[in-house]
Amino acid sequence: MDTKVRTFELTMWPHMRAAYNLARWLVRNDHDAEDIVQESFLKAYRAQESFRGSEAKTWMLSIVRNTAIDFLRRYKSSPTTTLSEPGYEPKDESPDPEHVLLQQTRRDQVRQAISHLEPEFREPIVLREIEGMSYKEIAAVLDIPMGTVMSRLSRARNLLLVELGGSKEVQHDLP
Amino acid sequence: MTCREAEPLLHARLDNELDMASSASIDLHLSDCRTCAAQYAALENLHAEIAAADLAYTPGSAFERRLSAQFLEEKKSPFRFWSASWLNAPVMAAAAIAVVLLIVSIPVLRTSRESDAVAGEILDNHLRSLQAVHPVDVPSSDQHTVKPWFQGKTDFSPPVPDLTKEGFILIGGRLEVIHQQPAAAIVYRRRQHVIDLYVSPSVGADSKPELRDLGGYHLLRWTQNNMSYWAVSDVDTTDLRTFASLIRGR
Repeated sequence: MDTKVRTFELTMWPHMRAAYNLARWLVRNDHDAEDIVQESFLKAYRAQESFRGSEAKTWMLSIVRNTAIDFLRRYKSSPTTTLSEPGYEPKDESPDPEHVLLQQTRRDQVRQAISHLEPEFREPIVLREIEGMSYKEIAAVLDIPMGTVMSRLSRARNLLLVELGGSKEVQHDLP
Repeated sequence: MTCREAEPLLHARLDNELDMASSASIDLHLSDCRTCAAQYAALENLHAEIAAADLAYTPGSAFERRLSAQFLEEKKSPFRFWSASWLNAPVMAAAAIAVVLLIVSIPVLRTSRESDAVAGEILDNHLRSLQAVHPVDVPSSDQHTVKPWFQGKTDFSPPVPDLTKEGFILIGGRLEVIHQQPAAAIVYRRRQHVIDLYVSPSVGADSKPELRDLGGYHLLRWTQNNMSYWAVSDVDTTDLRTFASLIRGR
C-alpha cells in the first residue's frame, strides 16, 4: 500500500470541496476553478513531505489561493477584463432598482454583491462567511496578520451593506 | 469606548473572536449607543442573509471522479471506498465471524431491555456497511453537503460536525431503519477504523454515554435534546469516548 497516497488521502482529500469553493470564488468560473484545484492538488501532493503543520486545510487553501493569483496574473491581465469573463454573472443593465429586484432573487443579489468585491475583500468574506473559518485560520491562508483580517472584513461587510442595503429599502416600499 | 474604537469589535463579536472581557466591554457600549447597536443589527442581518443564500460551490461529480482517480489509490474513488482491496482478507474474515457470533449470542444477550436488541441491530448494520460496496448514500467529507442531504428524507436534522481537526474524517451519510425507526447514519473514520454514528429522535431525559462491548466492537449510547445517539466502532474506547464528547459538545 502506497503510504504517500494514503497519507494524502487522509490529510488533504477531505479539503477538496473547500479548495474548489475558494478557487471558484476567486476565478469566477467552473472550468478555471477545476484547473486551479487540480494544479493545487498536484503541488500539495508533491510538497507533502515538507508539510509539517497540523493545519492541513489552511495549508491546502493557501496553495489554492496562490495558484489562483498566479493564474489570474498570467491569463487575465487587466482587472477590468475580469468583469466580462465568461461565467461571470451578467449584471442587469437596467438602472431601475425595482426592475433589478424583480429580475433577481435575493440569493442572486447576495452572490453578485460578494462577487463584485475586490479580491482583497472578497477573500476574507468567502473564508469567514462561507467557509466559517476563524480569524487565525484566515490569517494563515491569506498570509496576513489577524488585525488585517479584521479590518478587511469590516471594510468588506460595509461595502456589502451598501450594495445590498439599497435594494432592501426598495423592498420595503413595495406593496 | 468611542464608536470608532467599537467598530472593529462589532465584527469580532459577530464572529465569536472576542474573549469574555472584550465581549462584556462591547456589550456595554452597545447597550448605550444606538448607532452602534443599529450597525451591529445590520451586520447580524447580513451574516444571516449570506448564510441563507448558501453560496458554497461544490465541484461537479465528473470532476471529483477525475480528481480522485488521479490522486487516490488505484481501484478507489469516493464511491468505491470500501472495495475489497482496502479491507484485507483477515479483517473481513473477522467481521464475518463477528456476525456469526452475534447471531448466536443475541438470544443470550437479549433481555427484556429493548436497548440490548437495538444494540445487536446497530452492530449488525455497522458490520454490513463495512462490507458494502457503497456504505454511504451521500459520499462527501463536507458537512455542508452531508447535513442538507437529509432534509426531506428525515423529519429531523442530524448533527454533522466537521471533526477533521480532531482527527475524525467525515466519510458521508446514509439513511437507515433501526428498530423500525428511521435513523441517520453519519460515517466517520479514525485512522483505519470506521465509526458509524446513528441518530434518531427519542423522548425522555438526556443520558450520559453508556458503553457496551459486542463481538469485539464498542458501542456508546446516549441521549441528548430528544435525540438518541449510538456510536459504534472497533476503534479503542478512549477514542470512541472522545468522539462522543465532540458530538455531544456541538
